[in-house]
Amino acid sequence: MSAREAMLARLRGAHPDKAEADALLVAPDRRAVDEGALETEFLARIALPSVSATHDIIERLDELPVAVGRYLEQQGEPLTLCLPPDPRLSACDWSGFTLRESAAPEETAALAIARKGIAETGSLIFETSPHAPMLPNFLALHHIVLLAAGDIAPWLEDALLPGPQPRAHYWVTGVSGTTDIEGTYVRGAHGPRFLHVILLR
Amino acid sequence: MKQRVALFVTCLVDLMRPRIGFAAIQALEAAGREVVVPEGQTCCGQPALNTGDRGHAEALAKQTIAALEPYEAVVLPSGSCAGTICCHYPELFEHDPEWLPRAQAVAGRTFEIMAYLDEVCGWRPDSVSLSASATYHDNCSGLRELGIKAQPRRLLKAIDGLSLTQLPGEETCCGFGGTFCVKYPAISNAIVGEKAEAIEATGADLLLAGDLGCLMNMAGKLHRAGSKVRAYHAIELIAGMGDGPAIGEEA
Amino acid sequence: MSTFTDRADAALADPLLKIAVERTAGTAEAKRAAAIAAFPDFEAARARAAAIKDHVIAHLGAYLEEFEANAVAAGACVHWASTADEACRIVVEICKTAGARTVARSKSMLGEEIGLPHALAEAGIRRIETDLAEHIIQLADERPSHIIWPAMHKTREEVSALFKARHRSPHEEETIAAMAESARRELRMQMLGADVGISGANFLVADTGAVCTVTNEGNAELSLVPPRVHIVTAGIEKIVPSMEHAVHMLRMLARSATGAALTQYTTFYAGPKRPGDRDGPEEMHIVLVDNGRTKMREEGLADMLRCIRCGACMNHCVVFRQIGGHAYGGTYPGPMGSVLTPALDGLKQSRDLPNACTLNGKCQEVCPVRIPLPTLLRGWRERSWREGLEPASTRAGLGLWAWVACRPALYRVATGVAMRAMRLLSRGGWIARLPLAGGWTRYRDMPKPAPRSFMAQYRKERRG
Repeated sequence: MSAREAMLARLRGAHPDKAEADALLVAPDRRAVDEGALETEFLARIALPSVSATHDIIERLDELPVAVGRYLEQQGEPLTLCLPPDPRLSACDWSGFTLRESAAPEETAALAIARKGIAETGSLIFETSPHAPMLPNFLALHHIVLLAAGDIAPWLEDALLPGPQPRAHYWVTGVSGTTDIEGTYVRGAHGPRFLHVILLR
Repeated sequence: MKQRVALFVTCLVDLMRPRIGFAAIQALEAAGREVVVPEGQTCCGQPALNTGDRGHAEALAKQTIAALEPYEAVVLPSGSCAGTICCHYPELFEHDPEWLPRAQAVAGRTFEIMAYLDEVCGWRPDSVSLSASATYHDNCSGLRELGIKAQPRRLLKAIDGLSLTQLPGEETCCGFGGTFCVKYPAISNAIVGEKAEAIEATGADLLLAGDLGCLMNMAGKLHRAGSKVRAYHAIELIAGMGDGPAIGEEA
Repeated sequence: MSTFTDRADAALADPLLKIAVERTAGTAEAKRAAAIAAFPDFEAARARAAAIKDHVIAHLGAYLEEFEANAVAAGACVHWASTADEACRIVVEICKTAGARTVARSKSMLGEEIGLPHALAEAGIRRIETDLAEHIIQLADERPSHIIWPAMHKTREEVSALFKARHRSPHEEETIAAMAESARRELRMQMLGADVGISGANFLVADTGAVCTVTNEGNAELSLVPPRVHIVTAGIEKIVPSMEHAVHMLRMLARSATGAALTQYTTFYAGPKRPGDRDGPEEMHIVLVDNGRTKMREEGLADMLRCIRCGACMNHCVVFRQIGGHAYGGTYPGPMGSVLTPALDGLKQSRDLPNACTLNGKCQEVCPVRIPLPTLLRGWRERSWREGLEPASTRAGLGLWAWVACRPALYRVATGVAMRAMRLLSRGGWIARLPLAGGWTRYRDMPKPAPRSFMAQYRKERRG
């Protein structure tokens, strides 16, 4: 008998009742979020020490390069950017920037578009696709994220995608941090040390 | 007619510090109850239960149930023994159709003394006074199995002249753990050592708690460490017996 | 092999250990308390989390099949392993087939449980531990002492010395930030060059076939995205029915473990790289590991399969706080470990663990899935007693006490004699040395028993 058969033989039982599983999701226990002030809630959340992201606000997408440039200059970093092959980003005018399609092992900054922002936790929601590689967002020292204000949703449940899943679906709720030495918090353990959200109104 | 309550004194109080039993009687009588002490009582079986000796745990539970079931209420001056009867007796007889209903019936009528005085009788030791400062340790079984937290404090606050200082880590186990303290003495000592330091640091004159096992552990450590803190079961103060000898003091 | 008591004594004698454990567990305890106070109704959330896990455990077979079908549809290979050895063999075989020389590993307690580090070493495969704490442990050639903070037992001074001895360009400044930076430099290129990435799973999502990992360091993603092959080893109890159920469990996990609302990085992996993807592994393998779990489910330990490995029970355990994790001797320390280790390694060699507990109930109080840990520990004690594993002195002493206590008349006479004998040993109200209770009087004094028992005095009073 294979291990699969042996294990399943010992675990045989009634088929789960979908209604029973669904009943466990009714009225979720979660932090209250003011659905009328999602942007305020989200921005307050990402400013907490646990997320410690900075933010900027732009009114039009073509202001994005200026906002990214402003951030990098403030940080004293060169205008070097790992840019995913997303048509919305390629349409912007990046003159003055040194752009990279894939991330170097010691990349300074990577830009990505979040599909959603979650007010409950301050999470930024991403999926992989041919236009959206994953690695740069973990390699770069500065993770810069474009988020449309209209894409801010109240709760983590709103981040989920129905149906077949992308290869990777990931939530970023802060910078790479560790408390592995004496429980003391240090940012920039392996991945980004800085997270900057550019909100498009 | 006065309501009758049965007092289960517990084996430790019976042998080590009977005045806790007499304090319980005094407080219950002050609260308008008639107290009976059932003859057949010895030990509730907690040591056997916690050591895995199920046979003896069941035998002692049956003996205790039989001794206590004639009474409309049962009161104990110990959170852990009351917890044994209220929580663990029904578990012990989960698959015993004869004893389960009897265990449940007794469990439903059993109370820790301070919870009984406070919640059932609504009584306060209004005529008691004692000029002292005290700190209170929440014994784990009483706290987590029976929810005893506010009741002793409400009673103690009614004592004229007694000031209560909060014990940092008041809900942290003292390291007694029944047979744990003799099976793993070094670990138990490390735990009670920290507890004794915390008690000492409050600067209180008295250490109070609701379980003699924990009290003997903490008082024994405090004494060994040369502390001047004196230890009493809270019911002794509540009954107006806080002017007598503390644990380990000669009468 | 050393005994539990020897290890505990050694731990108690180590002043640095106490400081190190206190720093991390103390911080975790305070942060958890703040997080729970800020949550609307954590008790209701705990009940829901327990109900979700109970539902899964009751229908585990069907959910595993659903997970398998969806993972396969997403392009992953699913393997099943009944035992730890089988799981290791499968992982090593995948590595060999892939021609792997180095693997990057993202912290997984299941990996420790099945002995994967050892199996990889035997197969001659170089292992790069990428979690900072696991990296420290790997350099020190030790085992984790905590399931969330494996290097909890190390002080900053010890870590500093280790990094200075082993890193190519170690930190110069004596700060924790500089030490973390040193590890970042040391590990980054190694991670990017690994042939295989190995992780555990925090959750396996049945209705999507996705595997969820959570980290604060982002080391899982950096270990699992660049290599050609991603291998997941997961205990079969990690299943949740859907993404929504996972969301609830994630809310519980982070708050209970670190006091955060959520971990910094939460990733759901569904299969390998898709056509057109710029990164991601070419193969994804998921090894579903039993290693005693089906047996636990059958033999009264189903509640333990709720465990989501948050570590709250050990952070709040008075015994763990004194002796740290290594003294427990198993993969999992603290209260949850004291329930799991007898099931994984056998009760005979681990009977001390369920006994070395004061049954104070704090672990159950903080458990996000309401595991009745004291009850399960009592269950092991009962079995140990039944199987004759308890020491003869305990059996004789307790047995005699209980036998006498079952005979009230004899009990009054016998205890009267014993108490009088004890009183003879006292001086000024206290006993400083008591035969048969040396464990007590070695460290504390015993108050002198009363001259006459309560029952004797009461009877006399009522008669009198």
